[in-house]
Amino acid sequence: MALSRETLLGLYEMMVKIRTFEERVAEIYYEGKQPVFNIAAGPVPGEMHLYSGQEAVAAGVCAHLRPDDPVTSTHRPHGHLIAKGVDLKRMMAEIFGKETGLCHGKGGHMHLFDPELHFGCGGIVGGGIPHAVGAALAIKKRGEDRVAVSFFGEGAANIGAFHESLNLAALWKLPAVFIVEDNLYAISVPKTASTAVRSNAERGAAYGIPAVQVDGQDVVAVYEAAGEAVERARRGEGPTLIEAVCYRFRGHFEGDPEHYLPEGTKEQWKQRDPIALLAKQLKDQGWLTDEDAQAIEERMTALIAEAEAFARESAYPPPEAALTDVFVQAESPREEQSHG
Amino acid sequence: MIMIPAAGGTMQPAVGLIANPASGKDIRRLIAHGSVFDNNEKANIIRRVLQALDAFGVKQVLAMPDLYGLVLRALEDTQVGLRVEFVNISVTNTAADSRLAAAVMAQAGVRCIVTVGGDGTNRVVAQGCGDVPLVPISTGTNNVFPSLVESTLAGMAAAAVACDVEPVWDRAVRQARRLEIVRGNTLVETALVDVVVYDERFVATRAIWDADKMRALFLTAPYRGTIGASAIAAYLPQAEEVARDAAGLYVELGPGGTHVMAPIAPGLIVPVSVRVVHPLELEQTIPVTYAPSILALDGEREVPVPPGTSVGVRLSSHGPYVVDVQAALQAAVKAGFFIRKP
Ligand SMILES: Cc1ncc(C[n+]2csc(CCOP(=O)(O)OP(=O)(O)O)c2C)c(N)n1
Ligand SMILES: [Mg+2]
Repeated sequence: MALSRETLLGLYEMMVKIRTFEERVAEIYYEGKQPVFNIAAGPVPGEMHLYSGQEAVAAGVCAHLRPDDPVTSTHRPHGHLIAKGVDLKRMMAEIFGKETGLCHGKGGHMHLFDPELHFGCGGIVGGGIPHAVGAALAIKKRGEDRVAVSFFGEGAANIGAFHESLNLAALWKLPAVFIVEDNLYAISVPKTASTAVRSNAERGAAYGIPAVQVDGQDVVAVYEAAGEAVERARRGEGPTLIEAVCYRFRGHFEGDPEHYLPEGTKEQWKQRDPIALLAKQLKDQGWLTDEDAQAIEERMTALIAEAEAFARESAYPPPEAALTDVFVQAESPREEQSHG
Repeated sequence: MIMIPAAGGTMQPAVGLIANPASGKDIRRLIAHGSVFDNNEKANIIRRVLQALDAFGVKQVLAMPDLYGLVLRALEDTQVGLRVEFVNISVTNTAADSRLAAAVMAQAGVRCIVTVGGDGTNRVVAQGCGDVPLVPISTGTNNVFPSLVESTLAGMAAAAVACDVEPVWDRAVRQARRLEIVRGNTLVETALVDVVVYDERFVATRAIWDADKMRALFLTAPYRGTIGASAIAAYLPQAEEVARDAAGLYVELGPGGTHVMAPIAPGLIVPVSVRVVHPLELEQTIPVTYAPSILALDGEREVPVPPGTSVGVRLSSHGPYVVDVQAALQAAVKAGFFIRKP
């Protein structure tokens, strides 16, 4: 796996893109919700789970994926979808609930679907894992060389669906890659208070799935491990589990007072900001200057400003749209019956 | 820091315990067939060590705290009379913890330190432990420095060392060599077994498994029957010959040499082209000018050598003291250490 300058600068740019997107969405989210927090107010009502801090995982994994590789994600999906290569305008418009959005404004931030990128996500913790296994089964039955990837949190790894998924993926030797993003917490519950094993990488062994733990703050490490896992899957050698140890820099959701965090720990983790870590490695190699970094940041900021403008200018779906794309229109009475 | 109270003017025999919760899960499970070592098994290993120490008169254990609570776990299901205390360090869950914990333990006067981990764990412990001997227990199949030994026996050997049983130190404790990485006159890192000059720039997943990227190999000793980069020399007759009169080895790798089939990772046996095998003398420094590259220390990418820079690799006699478990047990048997009046 070549760790070329081009590849690593691509990873750097992707991480900056995700971070800039998330931090801008946070600002937009608080519009109208201050001084008194009102979850229903502002241009983006509802809950908001942001991905800042975990960029290395999405960027490092998705760099190996093609548009036709299915990916399932979670309630914290922005990073994964951006890294998969989404059109930022349609994604931002969806977050705003606009008609031009990926789901015509019916999904919102937690339900982003992009059929062109074979991407889906949702708020049911652990819900995406069996979907990826189903996709992997389809890939195998059709004899394709695609790979299904599921991103989920360490909290989700305590859900039954995780274990059922690993079991079937191993049994049927499916082209699936499971990415556990261990950010230490499920909402306010620390992993140590919910999980009998100390590392989810250990759980692969129970199913005969090769499992590795990587430093989820180091995008180069994630990239290298994910590359091996994805290639294995494409070669038909079966599933892999990767535990990326990482940290979220924002609350579980926006507005989270984070009383559960031991004092100083977030600051400690921020010393290992994945973007700064890569920047340092690139600078040491003479592959990035401060001016380059600044230019990338400005370019990403402009891109996101454009997406935001598009979202703001777009129209809300008309009320009658609530009834479209909800039920399948049966083409014949017979078909209707078979659905019955 | 925790001071061990001196009972009646003399120090109670105390043993240090450093278990690395991160070992046994790296990418060698993916690119080779490395064994999986889970933390429940590590807790089990620790239990067996504690039982052995307890049975043979060790009263105190100073342990390294870790976020996973390995030693706490072990204690939950163990009935032992000895006292386990944790060194007072702030846990960062990095290698720095092991280094610092070893230093604090050495200062507190432990008689030996039991390590549970791989080559990497021992490498950093050795940087902190001073002249306190190590009893290394391997947690995996990819190690050269720690041995795959039953931990009950390692615990018994550690007890014999800690209780200062007469011939044990003489017969079973030796000082290892080490390889020192120097930039100018500054010592920047150390390795216990081998240093590989690897044609890559980044630490990434740490392990090295592409023999074509190995440019040179430094060895502290002519290891026999090993796995990892040291295996390149271990299965080469010329190396055996050169090693007979040398303290260490410096091996140039690259196309056009002798091909040796070497197990550079568990189950990963590949041809490696060896150009020249040089003897390496104590205190001799070899410059590494191959840049950009990265130095892998005991099998883990660790020290980048960016373009336009260079480092030196020096063989030194200042490695850690290490307990040979079998030799220690034998010496302790002779001394009647395991005999109790009925
Ligand atoms: C089945 C289910 N149970 C509970 C919840 C409530 N919930 C939402 S997010 C979350 C925590 C998820 O933690 P983790 O999987 O670690 O992901 P992270 O938020 O850390 O990214 C919970 C319990 C839910 N959405 N779905
Ligand atoms: Mg979590």
